Amino acid sequence: MTFDTNAFLIILTGALIAISCGFLGVFLLLRKMSMTGDAISHAVLPGIVIGFFVSGSQRSLEVIIGAGLLGILSTLMIDALRKKAKVQLDASIGITFTLLFAIGIILINLFAYKVDLDQECVLYGEIAYLPIDLWITPSGINLGPRVTWLAGLNFFLVTGFIYLLFKELSLTSFDEHFSSAIGIPAKGVNLALMSMVSYTTVSSFESVGAILVVALLVVPPSTAYLWTKSLIPLLRLTAGLGILIAILGYYLAYWIDSSIAGMMVAVAGAFFFCSALIKGNWPLGIGGTSKSSPAFDS
Amino acid sequence: MITQVPHPVLEVHDLTVSYDQHPVLWNVDLSLPAGQLIGILGPNGAGKSTLIKSIMGLIQPTSGYIKIFDKPLPDVRSRISYVPQRESVDWNFPASVLDVVVMGTYGKLGLFRRPGKKEVQIAQDALDQVGMMAYSKRQISELSGGQQQRVFIARALAQQADLYLMDEPFAGVDMATETAIFQLLQDMARAGKTVLVVHHDIHSAMNFFEWCIMLNLHLVASGPKDQVMTEELLRKTYGGKLNLLTQVTDLIRKQDFNPLKR
Ligand SMILES: Nc1ncnc2c1ncn2[C@@H]1O[C@H](COP(=O)(O)OP(=O)(O)OP(=O)(O)O)[C@@H](O)[C@H]1O
Ligand SMILES: [Mg+2]
Repeated sequence: MTFDTNAFLIILTGALIAISCGFLGVFLLLRKMSMTGDAISHAVLPGIVIGFFVSGSQRSLEVIIGAGLLGILSTLMIDALRKKAKVQLDASIGITFTLLFAIGIILINLFAYKVDLDQECVLYGEIAYLPIDLWITPSGINLGPRVTWLAGLNFFLVTGFIYLLFKELSLTSFDEHFSSAIGIPAKGVNLALMSMVSYTTVSSFESVGAILVVALLVVPPSTAYLWTKSLIPLLRLTAGLGILIAILGYYLAYWIDSSIAGMMVAVAGAFFFCSALIKGNWPLGIGGTSKSSPAFDS
Repeated sequence: MITQVPHPVLEVHDLTVSYDQHPVLWNVDLSLPAGQLIGILGPNGAGKSTLIKSIMGLIQPTSGYIKIFDKPLPDVRSRISYVPQRESVDWNFPASVLDVVVMGTYGKLGLFRRPGKKEVQIAQDALDQVGMMAYSKRQISELSGGQQQRVFIARALAQQADLYLMDEPFAGVDMATETAIFQLLQDMARAGKTVLVVHHDIHSAMNFFEWCIMLNLHLVASGPKDQVMTEELLRKTYGGKLNLLTQVTDLIRKQDFNPLKR
């Protein structure tokens, strides 16, 4: 088999995104905030539209900043609804992201005559076009696919963030009160995490799309959590799953000629269901840990 | 019956705390001496946890202020250790016993710095002191309730603080361990540390505390044990819960400890 550069680049990009999302997803999972990732990925839409409107380009820094700000705003809003207005967490998430998403849609319609935002791309993404979208310096040097660079930068920042703040992230996930009591600002750490989630979401939009990025935030960490109950192995397993998902997703999509991002998530889902089947506690005796309980208790 | 002390370790000045504009602590005014094992007593809902949380700065008081070591809280955080009620966290969190106890050292480490050999050693010593050394590698989700509580105590010990605030540290802990840890706390008090413990068992409270705070929305008493553990003040604290009070009076009689007869 000859070395296929395009395949390699697509898999590399997919794996980088899957790992970045997975790492952040582990901490969302531990904070029982997986759905906040979902909320953020929708809530950033108005930020993207405004950023796009200001800069006139879908791939500008303004878009990322706009999305980041909206991500933080949605986190603050969810938190305020929950703590100040005493709305349940799931309800405050639902209210916040649908509202912000709706505002985004209205903005798209308002600006539609001025901007040509590729909604398909924002919502679904297409990693397969990555090899033809190259980053070429003004002097004409070809540096390779732009999206791969973005994913690499994102991976580097997410990994650095988690490496530097590992102790703070784990402590605030476990015991928020204690961390505030000893002077580690739980709120600040939480906001930093949510900003990273917003940034990652936007950065991954173009390749895997807004909806599928949520799957990468939620599914691999949840799968890994079925297998291990300690933090470092949990992160390692999530990363491993990310790489596997990218490789299998690419070749399966290639084989049946379908969307790569969609296939990556389908593979992730398949891993999850197999794990749940093996590790879950099912009746009927399927699965490893299940203990059939006697039906008669009188 | 509120005894104030000169040069207090902890000074609570006219503190009123409310949840949703609804006060649950009224005008609490007390000062505590250094180097003592201090009990906080009161019925459920008396505001004991609220008092501790206000001291730790986790709740903003409606009025009044708190000074620790004669300074406001932010200046002295690293000298204070805190044991929250066990139910305040999710014990399914993927961490080992040692991981959790090492968290006690994070306050002194500060941002970005990672725990190293020294911190692990401190944590292991703390685990040893609560008799949990054998469990250091165990996942916290696999512990019994009393063992979880001991992990929390160990985490507080690992903070190596000067003032310890413990919210029901002995809930679900067996008698032998409770006595052993109480003796450890007494030793710490003798070494100059101040230890505040929210406690529900009046029997062991009589045995181990040197100073008692009695709370029921208002401050009922704060002073040396033999002066405040009286039938009258206990009645005031626990209200009409006669069953309990008869037990307490029995206890006082049995132990021949009756401050009323002094
Ligand atoms: N988060 C909260 N919101 C509203 N009210 C609260 C809250 N926490 C406590 N309260 C109320 O404040 C009062 C004091 O509560 P607190 O938890 O301080 O009691 P406690 O003395 O620690 O009781 P326990 O012995 O049961 O632990 C109670 O009446 C309680 O209903
Ligand atoms: Mg309490």
